[in-house]
Amino acid sequence: MLAIVAKLVARRLLAAIPILLVVSALLFCVLRLLPVDPAAMSLPTTATIAEIEAKRREMGLDRPLPEQYVIWLSDALHGNFGRSIQFGREAGSLVAATLPATIQLAGAAMVLAAIFGLGGGLLLFHLRGTWFEAVADFVSILLLSIPEFLWGLILLFVFGVALQVLPFTGAVSPNLPQPHVTGFLLIDALLVGRLDVFASACRHLILPALALGLAFSPAIMRVLRSSLFDVYHEDYIQQARLRGLPERQILLGHALKNAALPTLTLAGVQFGILFSGTLLVEVIYSYPGMGNLMVDAVRNADLPLIQAIGLTYCVAVLLINTVVDSLYVVLNPKLRVG
Amino acid sequence: MAGSLLRALGSPRVLLALAMVLIIGVCAVFAHFLAPHDPAEQNLLSILTPPAWAPDGDPSFPLGTDSLGRDVLSRLIYGARTAMLVAVFASLGAMIIGTVLAHISGYFGGAVDWLIGRLVEVWMSFPPVILSLILMVGLGVGLDRVILAIVLVDWTRFCRVLRSEVLIVRRHDYVAAARLLGFSHWQTIVREVLPATLPLLITLFSLEMAIAVVVEAILSFVGLGVGPNQAAWGQMIADARQYVYQSPWNLLLPIFAIFFAVAAFNLLGDGLRRTLDVRLAETGH
Repeated sequence: MLAIVAKLVARRLLAAIPILLVVSALLFCVLRLLPVDPAAMSLPTTATIAEIEAKRREMGLDRPLPEQYVIWLSDALHGNFGRSIQFGREAGSLVAATLPATIQLAGAAMVLAAIFGLGGGLLLFHLRGTWFEAVADFVSILLLSIPEFLWGLILLFVFGVALQVLPFTGAVSPNLPQPHVTGFLLIDALLVGRLDVFASACRHLILPALALGLAFSPAIMRVLRSSLFDVYHEDYIQQARLRGLPERQILLGHALKNAALPTLTLAGVQFGILFSGTLLVEVIYSYPGMGNLMVDAVRNADLPLIQAIGLTYCVAVLLINTVVDSLYVVLNPKLRVG
Repeated sequence: MAGSLLRALGSPRVLLALAMVLIIGVCAVFAHFLAPHDPAEQNLLSILTPPAWAPDGDPSFPLGTDSLGRDVLSRLIYGARTAMLVAVFASLGAMIIGTVLAHISGYFGGAVDWLIGRLVEVWMSFPPVILSLILMVGLGVGLDRVILAIVLVDWTRFCRVLRSEVLIVRRHDYVAAARLLGFSHWQTIVREVLPATLPLLITLFSLEMAIAVVVEAILSFVGLGVGPNQAAWGQMIADARQYVYQSPWNLLLPIFAIFFAVAAFNLLGDGLRRTLDVRLAETGH
């Protein structure tokens, strides 16, 4: 089975190469349409026209667009995305510095979304046929109508401002040190043995992760419920019932396992979107991740940085999809052969 | 089709949703008459006043004022106009591009289908929020730019779902019969295939309006939306965030407005999906 999964991952990654090429070309073209001159922006305002011209030549901006793209791409493949205009640092290193925080947030949010989705889906299904079913269904549509950034603001207001029980700015209390080993704050705090930092980081993670988890669970909930409905029409459920198995065991032992597959497909798509959903949540909670950096870059038209972050998001989505597809193969015996 | 649309009107969910849409629609269309103040008018002498029913409330500002002394109710009403303009035109644009490509792709198949399929795949590998932000950098702020950005991002939603529907419809005998009767490909698509995909199209359109409202709010929130001269809910939230301790109302009201609009379109879409019997795999959008 491992070989099949490896083959699938290899195939998916291979298929991702042309996609990423086109995506990077698109990214490059869109940003070249900008009415800003990167050469002039990277020089002080006192620069002369001649200096700007020289800089343009140095940056390759005087060459034809396709040639510029090839140069940019070969640099990017060597990990060189150019220098951020506003920070004056390598765009690649800025991304590398903020990516772990975003991954940490997205990871925590995915766990929460999966738990809420699973629990909610089972609850929705359990309520079938009762008078409460219509209400629950209605509520789930309403929940579906609260995107992550509204959840972020609502939770910030309720738990941060009104009840004042949880922190809502940054990744850790400002008076605590931020150890740096792997870049993942939670892991680093444990590595250096600072439990206070770890606890503070956890508390700071709760609201943003909860906002994302709540926003992305209703869709999972609803798909799990409808998959369970489909599964319950199958003969083996009837047979399990005839064998006298308790309803609970039928649901959790037989039905859930089979309903998990279609749910997983959707969850994979959702997790891809969730990863980019971190952007707004990070902005709302001033969380020092890639999303905040992106908004900074976008506001300042910092082209090299926008390109680097944009590509990173695409790679992340493609990777998440690949992982979900392999999980699908692992869980689905039908796909394991050949 | 007309019959099933009428039947949809019998569903309480669709009726409730339509009533909600109507409220927002009336605000949007008649903003000029409904708003007690000019949404941009600043009253620097009465900033951050609470709603009229609060102890310090001022009856001339029913829902209070923001940090520049602008009337919150008026800004909410004009924000509805912004949200509706974006929702209607962005969804129309995305629907037209997506539908045309989906029908071409599903009907003709072959190389065209492959090409459009790959195009959708590339587009979908871009997270929508990221793509719309990048587009806004390139396009600049403004109502028309927001609409264009959403169209350019979201046509894939229509294209992907409709294409598989066209593939099913195409196999029906009446489509082959139309060809035998001498219909051109174009006539066959417009008169035979398109009507069959219409229920799905209407449902998707409603769900897309919900998405467009959210995207507009997000872009305005980040400061890359309709621009500072136009009242927008996302912008109101961004402003209110800085004064959340002094004036929580300013934050909660636009949040509720966005939720109300998105819920209206989601309920409408869900109600239509049920009554029009649309086979729409739940995407959760």
